[in-house]
Amino acid sequence: MHTLLNLFMIPFNGAFIVFVIGTATSRHLKTVAALLSLIPLAMLLTHPQGWLGSMVQVPWIPFLSIEFFLSVDGLSLLFLYLTAIIVPLSILAVESKHTPSQRTLFSLILILQGLLIGFFTSRDLALFTIFWEAMLIPLYFIIAGWGKEHKEQAAMKFIIYMIAGSSLMVAAVLALYFSGSHDSFNMDTLASAASASRYAPFICAVFLLAFAVKTPLFPFHAWLPDAYYQAPLAGTILLSAILSKAGIYGIARIGIGFFPALLKEWSPLLLGLAIAGTLYAALVAWKQNDYKRLIAYSSLSHVNFILAGLFVWHEPAQTGAILQAFNHGITIGALFLAAGWLERRLGSTYMDGAMGLAKYMPRLCWITMLFVLSSVALPGTNNFIGEFMVLFGLFGQSGWLAALLGLTVILTVIYMLRFMQSIYFGKASAYKHGWVDLAPKELLLAVPLAFLIFWVGLHPGPLLSLSKTPTSAATATAALEPS
Amino acid sequence: MTIPQLQAIDLLALGPLLVLLFGALLMLFIESFFEKFAQKYSWVLTLAILGLGLLSAATAPASENALLTPWLRFDDAARFFTILFLAIGFGCTLLASSFFRVFQASQGEYYFLLLSAIFGLILIGGSADYLTLFLGIETLSLSLYILTGFMKRWKLSHEAALKFFLMGALATAFLVYGIAMMYGGAGTTRLDLLFSAYKKITDSSERTLFLAGAAFITAGLAFKAAVVPFHIWAPDVYEGAPTPVTAFLAVGSKLGAFAALYRVFLEELPNFDAMWNQGISVLAYLSIIYANLLALRQTHLKRFFAYSGISHAGFMLIPIAAETPASAHALLFYFVVYAAATLCAFAVISLLEKKPEGVTMHDLKGLYKRAPFAAGLLTLALLTLAGVPPTAGFFAKFYLFKAAFQAGYIGLVIVGLLATVVAIYYYLRMVAMMFAVQEEKEAVVGVQWSAVVLGSVVALFIAYLSVHPAPLLEVLSWAVK
Repeated sequence: MHTLLNLFMIPFNGAFIVFVIGTATSRHLKTVAALLSLIPLAMLLTHPQGWLGSMVQVPWIPFLSIEFFLSVDGLSLLFLYLTAIIVPLSILAVESKHTPSQRTLFSLILILQGLLIGFFTSRDLALFTIFWEAMLIPLYFIIAGWGKEHKEQAAMKFIIYMIAGSSLMVAAVLALYFSGSHDSFNMDTLASAASASRYAPFICAVFLLAFAVKTPLFPFHAWLPDAYYQAPLAGTILLSAILSKAGIYGIARIGIGFFPALLKEWSPLLLGLAIAGTLYAALVAWKQNDYKRLIAYSSLSHVNFILAGLFVWHEPAQTGAILQAFNHGITIGALFLAAGWLERRLGSTYMDGAMGLAKYMPRLCWITMLFVLSSVALPGTNNFIGEFMVLFGLFGQSGWLAALLGLTVILTVIYMLRFMQSIYFGKASAYKHGWVDLAPKELLLAVPLAFLIFWVGLHPGPLLSLSKTPTSAATATAALEPS
Repeated sequence: MTIPQLQAIDLLALGPLLVLLFGALLMLFIESFFEKFAQKYSWVLTLAILGLGLLSAATAPASENALLTPWLRFDDAARFFTILFLAIGFGCTLLASSFFRVFQASQGEYYFLLLSAIFGLILIGGSADYLTLFLGIETLSLSLYILTGFMKRWKLSHEAALKFFLMGALATAFLVYGIAMMYGGAGTTRLDLLFSAYKKITDSSERTLFLAGAAFITAGLAFKAAVVPFHIWAPDVYEGAPTPVTAFLAVGSKLGAFAALYRVFLEELPNFDAMWNQGISVLAYLSIIYANLLALRQTHLKRFFAYSGISHAGFMLIPIAAETPASAHALLFYFVVYAAATLCAFAVISLLEKKPEGVTMHDLKGLYKRAPFAAGLLTLALLTLAGVPPTAGFFAKFYLFKAAFQAGYIGLVIVGLLATVVAIYYYLRMVAMMFAVQEEKEAVVGVQWSAVVLGSVVALFIAYLSVHPAPLLEVLSWAVK
């Protein structure tokens, strides 16, 4: 099946094309890059069912027993959709007027898209590790090259945290390789042998640490506020919407797929950390005077919510958590986009300056409101389904913990509405130059996101059927495949 | 008994060595009698000589003449080393030609010495006896002592050359003493007989003599390879030497010492004594930890690459300590990747060099704005040296770690991986420097085409290796057979 190979290769070719065209002209470069980044989405949508089970498997480095092995199952497909939606969004979010060396920026984003597609589909553990670390490089350059004032420090902090978190992953991969009897890094064969390894707890801990830093699970989040805040808009969207999901995907694929017994054993501790993180981040978000930081902490709170769902050892909760990973990607991307538009108009991200902006920018206000409602999990929006399933699963185990986690839903409402109130509502400040409402182009970008939010909220069936952890995925894939 | 005669086929087998020998003499001749011509064209001639050497290395038949085989190998590993060292010679010649465009000096002698050094390297790579090994190392070292002090007006160069000479002489003494002791224990200087001779030793004093010899030889080679704690000369010498010579020290002379370790210990004395392997692993620990910590504090690029080189030497000791069947293969792959990435970095450094004091981190500031191509090359080289996937540097390290893991050196793997975190910090700090905005007036980046060509070719090679390393691994697997 070479369509999967094409899906993987197209972004890299796109990056090359953009880079070459960019040497000649920078006009329409954004449009070209966005169109190129939309090709994977078009490919995915033309054969929604045909992708399940498609694979590419060729020997790559026989001396190291590394295979180029990509394969798509439900879990992969869900994250592929997310990648295919968010990457064009991040490209379109770039402000073409004031951005220097755009061809490099767009090429980096497209390269990242290719690496993400590779990451979400790779079934060779060595290849998985390569993509896992390789995706940091374009992100590092995006933050360091196009970010705000302290971009270099933020970028360095980001990459050092990431590399430190996953530094021992190579050792864990090798330990798994040598504990298996097969001479390969094939994840399917390794998964069955993983728990039997003598070093299983160490290996699992090393993997979990890497994923926990990237997601990030509380208390491994120290890099997050700076990276999210200093990154350019496109970088923030990519970080919050997809990069955090790479960690969640890793936990689902390797953690739950390889070491189910160990994770079950450790679930009280992990669940405790996740719930603590959810509450902590929500409280910190409440205290923020800067809306970009507020949304950054809100993202931290919500990814910890998702992790809590994964660590509840309960199938609907895990399904809900994975669906929620997709939903959170869409919602947080949309929120950062709306915040970015606002920042461009205000010139700052402080919340105590302008007020009552609904008067001057009604469209931006209501679009933001809609995304905020999705973020607070209003029934009918996408987040409601996921969070409800997680809470439902947790309630089955402990009513108290569910109540504690449910508290964050209320906290989210508080801090989000506080943000809306202080910026958009209240007594309007005097008009300043540049306070213009959304242009039709921008609106055109927001509407599909809004549609997606409601579509998933009202009709979650198709996506839910994809949101399976690897343990339950085998049966689900079999059921979905056309006979 | 008839004395075997040298046939045409034997001369062809010796081809690369003969080409270099006569080529080097030719350079000296031209320098003496046609100085103006030498000033202009000696680098072209050197490239031609190296090219001829490559051609001859690629086609050289294996000699079975009894006059040669006790001294020299004509196997695939020898061919690999010959080609690798000639390619490094190519790189250093291009660097030198770009260097001499900025700084004036007589060039014929320089290339004579460079070709002699490469001659020594090839002799090491093909040695079958301690005698040829020692000859190779001395030819290499003597040429390098002079090359280090080649810029006669540079004070720093004088100091570096003297330090290098004193330290190098000490290392040579260690090496000769070690060889003598090993001969005392085993009764032979032929490398291929060492192992069986060692296994036949029954007398414990003879065994001690042999092991002490092994320790002294290792120490002597560790000096040349700049491995902690035998590294003290490296930062000063790297800083003081002219840039193309620094590059040759970092790549040629280091890999030469490792080629000797490869020939003697990995090939001929595999796992002869567990104590030796433990000793090597201690050296690897020390080099990796020490060099990575000190590299953090460097601001002078040549000193920085001295420490980076020490750290890489530590990594190259890992497979030698592990000695699994995959070790030799992994080590050769690491050689190629390290050489390519280091040459690529030095190509960019030579573009930036304006004054004898060399290039500092500060000179990199805003390089991306001034010269995006050079910045891109240096970024690729640094990421490869750091071992970040998907560059070839990752595969090189991965392969080393795999061999070490298999042999049970898990501690080395973990220290190596943690060191990578530090390494990524200091390599990326340079990258961040290049992408930072420069406030002061901008220094112009020179365009020396020879360095640009070298950088581009090597960068393409690294990019190819990163995507498709299998063919090179296949070729290398013939060499280790």
